[in-house]
Amino acid sequence: MGYLNNQVVTVDAILTKKGRELLAQNDGSFRITQFALADDEIDYTLYNPVNPSGSAFYGQAIDNMPLLEAFPDENQIMKYQLTTLPRGTAVLPVLNLGLSAVTLKQGASLAITPQTLNYLGNATAFETSGYNCIIADVRTMAEFNGTGIQTTAAQTQNSTSTTTLGTNVSSTVIGSQINLRATTVNTLFGTNTQLQTTLTVIGLDSGARITIPVTITQGTTL
Amino acid sequence: MSFKRLDAEDFVVSATSVQSTAWSTNEPILTTFQTSSVQTSGTSGNYYISVYQVAATLDEAEVQFDITYGNKIGSGSEFFDPSIPRLTPATSIYGQYRTMVLEDENSSFIYGDGTNTFTPNDFYALSIDRARYKEKLFPGTFNLKLINGSNTIHLTDNSNSTNIATFLGSNRVYQIISGSNGSPYDTTGYVANSGSYGLFLPDIGTILLNPAAINQSIEITPTVTSNVANGTNQSIIYDAIKSGGSFQLNAQETITSDFVFVRSRNSEFNYSSNPSYISGSTGEIIFPQFINNPQTYVTTVGMYNDANELVAVAKLSRPLLKDFTKESLIRVKLDF
Repeated sequence: MGYLNNQVVTVDAILTKKGRELLAQNDGSFRITQFALADDEIDYTLYNPVNPSGSAFYGQAIDNMPLLEAFPDENQIMKYQLTTLPRGTAVLPVLNLGLSAVTLKQGASLAITPQTLNYLGNATAFETSGYNCIIADVRTMAEFNGTGIQTTAAQTQNSTSTTTLGTNVSSTVIGSQINLRATTVNTLFGTNTQLQTTLTVIGLDSGARITIPVTITQGTTL
Repeated sequence: MSFKRLDAEDFVVSATSVQSTAWSTNEPILTTFQTSSVQTSGTSGNYYISVYQVAATLDEAEVQFDITYGNKIGSGSEFFDPSIPRLTPATSIYGQYRTMVLEDENSSFIYGDGTNTFTPNDFYALSIDRARYKEKLFPGTFNLKLINGSNTIHLTDNSNSTNIATFLGSNRVYQIISGSNGSPYDTTGYVANSGSYGLFLPDIGTILLNPAAINQSIEITPTVTSNVANGTNQSIIYDAIKSGGSFQLNAQETITSDFVFVRSRNSEFNYSSNPSYISGSTGEIIFPQFINNPQTYVTTVGMYNDANELVAVAKLSRPLLKDFTKESLIRVKLDF
């Protein structure tokens, strides 16, 4: 992975791993219909609103920084989406899952109901469009689905959420509630006693995002 | 809102024809030719010789093209079974190309046109590696030099003297002539009584050479007695190509691009979910100046399907400042 030449403004576009998989499936699921913008790699603490040279130089440390090429892994890019909010917003939407990490024993279930804090003037809100939930390795789950959102896309995602294709093992579901049930397959553990993965939740309206670690422990008791 | 729907007019599909050098060296002319003793002594060596741009043992070695020999009556290679004459690798090759090119098992290859045509029983075939010719060979760029001792011939296709492409079966075909860059040295570039030097089939990356015509020019001829050791005739033309040291060829492909125009209005995408944009876990914006005059820096464009799956991504080469006074239009090009 290298840096892009920033002497001229260019756009370096690639298909993601998921995009290549959907293109190969040839079932129409590779169809771009929407976009989002993100500011991955930007550290806003570099913005200096007291720069003595004036406001034109506040973003000096950010303006001309070189950027890395795109990553094909959809879990490693578009981490920090830009969002549209009313002017004058002082606090930004933040996701609250009610837990900072998930630990499940084999076969155990958990339902997560994400909430969005500070969204559209509400201290706590459930987003109308629901939440995008991405598990990095769905093999760790016997069940992984979303409920509460009745769109065709959400229902299609649920029907294939635990199906993997080769080494592409991440899975995305949409819902206002996310249901997890840990795998009961012992062979996945090998000589280890735990499986580790991550769960990323993105508010489809707010763009707020949170990633928490998920641990599956071998055996039926913790 | 963080996702924005794209309209039909945000997409433009474009197809562009691109020509490039065929060889792994990225040079128009291939000057060095190597074979692999492992390949030629293996089963595939009974049928063809693979030609590399460098020694086959090197990491960067890649097959550039294969040389094979076909004979209608089975001469020029070993019998599969001595009790069944006429069935040899050369027969298999002849039948293979006859089916693929002529699309008629009762036809024979005819070289030349008008009053100067020739119908021999055999051919040498150069089959260009698919990764080299990509989609098709680019007519007019084929220049091959053959040398045997003090005899030299320069071959090319006749695309510059042909106004309308002719077809063999469903294959576009050009005659191979004596000349350069698609034009003959003399009137036709043919050989008296032997037709043309072969057939140039750009759409299947194949060049068929007429042994009789080549023999008239540089005095090399395939051994067409029965039960000849496999590989003998492939080596004859390989040696002439290697001695010539000059094989020029370009590839041609159509690249279909999907342009996506990503537009953000002045009121959109002015806040960020970046953790450095807020202070603490309560979501308070890091700088008071950002409350009424927020600024964000676009670095990445994500393109999604209806299921919110990220199918393509584009990175800008430098951050693009966005605030309530700016609108952005980013053109993303996806090649297929």
